[in-house]
Amino acid sequence: MKNLWKIFKQGIIYENPLLMLMIGLCSALAVTSNVSNGIGMGLAMTFVLLFSEIFISLFRKAIPSSARMPIFIIIIAAFTTMVDLVMKAYFPALSKSMGVFIPLIVVNCIIMGRVEAFASKQKVLPAIFDSLGMGLGYTWVLIGIAAFREILGNGTIAGMQVMPQSYQPILFFILPPGGFLVFGLFISLNIWLKKRMQNSAKERA
Amino acid sequence: MKNIVKLGLILAIFAVGACASLAVVYSITKPQIEAQDQIALTASLKEVFPDGEIFEDISSSVVSSDSEIIFQNAMLVKSAEVPLGVAIKASGASYGGKATLLVGVRLNRSIAGVRVLELNDTAGLGANAKNEGYFVKKAEKVTFPGQFAGKFITDAFEVKKDVIAITASTITSKSLTRIIKSAAESAALWLENSTVTDGSEADQGAQQSSVTETTGGK
Repeated sequence: MKNLWKIFKQGIIYENPLLMLMIGLCSALAVTSNVSNGIGMGLAMTFVLLFSEIFISLFRKAIPSSARMPIFIIIIAAFTTMVDLVMKAYFPALSKSMGVFIPLIVVNCIIMGRVEAFASKQKVLPAIFDSLGMGLGYTWVLIGIAAFREILGNGTIAGMQVMPQSYQPILFFILPPGGFLVFGLFISLNIWLKKRMQNSAKERA
Repeated sequence: MKNIVKLGLILAIFAVGACASLAVVYSITKPQIEAQDQIALTASLKEVFPDGEIFEDISSSVVSSDSEIIFQNAMLVKSAEVPLGVAIKASGASYGGKATLLVGVRLNRSIAGVRVLELNDTAGLGANAKNEGYFVKKAEKVTFPGQFAGKFITDAFEVKKDVIAITASTITSKSLTRIIKSAAESAALWLENSTVTDGSEADQGAQQSSVTETTGGK
């Protein structure tokens, strides 16, 4: 159990897919101009990651290693399409604002990377914890970046006005360059957090 | 050789499994997605024709004269029993791919309104066509699709002449104008060939219907 908790924790800070492994960045920067997109994308991504890891871990002995890539893609694509359809049916506004980035989850490096590096070699239970940890790690970064950019760049959070009316939004943060700047700040924040956690772990030991 | 067949078979099994599960999800979500599209379309129709109550499907009898512009839907809009005009949901290519517009034409051959339903052009440039805070005429707060309201189908519909372009987005402006023009012309043609009564008689009809409405209210 302790081991599973450790796997889960890896994805959130130590091996955060966005801030440490630095994979799957383009969609992360593109959708983070408002918080509801960040939440939606994070959840969609976690869902696809979870089910792809479960399935691939279950069938890991049946998947021949020389044909694993196409099989991974088929499984990931099937779950992504399901998410896309469900979103279109029940959350049309969210689906509209995220547009092409939902179908593009298929080629998101985080999923391919975790499936290849983790799920194809591990049992189902660790794979579930890995996907949840990685999904949460992805989601918190998206929400964090989106909140930062939306508050400063538009004066709102998830569409609700939080800054006083007199606040003149800094458009820079909504535009791509602002996304890169905030993303850089989050990387340094994560490194700082990681060092702090390592130090406190050392002190305890 | 034997190995290739085996790998192919395994791959096929996975593909079949994935397809089967997708088919299930698709059939469950399909009616819901169609219902959502219908809600969005009705909402836009209500914006173009605020008095519209009944939307009769006339898709089969309205044809596009421009082979690159496809009409997905065409409707005869009526308030109670009085025809108000024709609305066409038309799509064609724009800078960033498919663009879908809803074009409403009144019985007097003027444009009732234009709504952008789907547009994937560059954010901050072409996408301003669907931005309700972007005005081509700043003083009067007229948006790009908004400027078409009230134009007659006999007008030129030429960007930079009688249509104001979106700054730095000539392609978007031209492609959207082309879709609007084509839809408006086809709508007018349909009205020409149909038995729908024109402006003056429709006005009488409107009065009649308001009378019946009030008596119905009692």
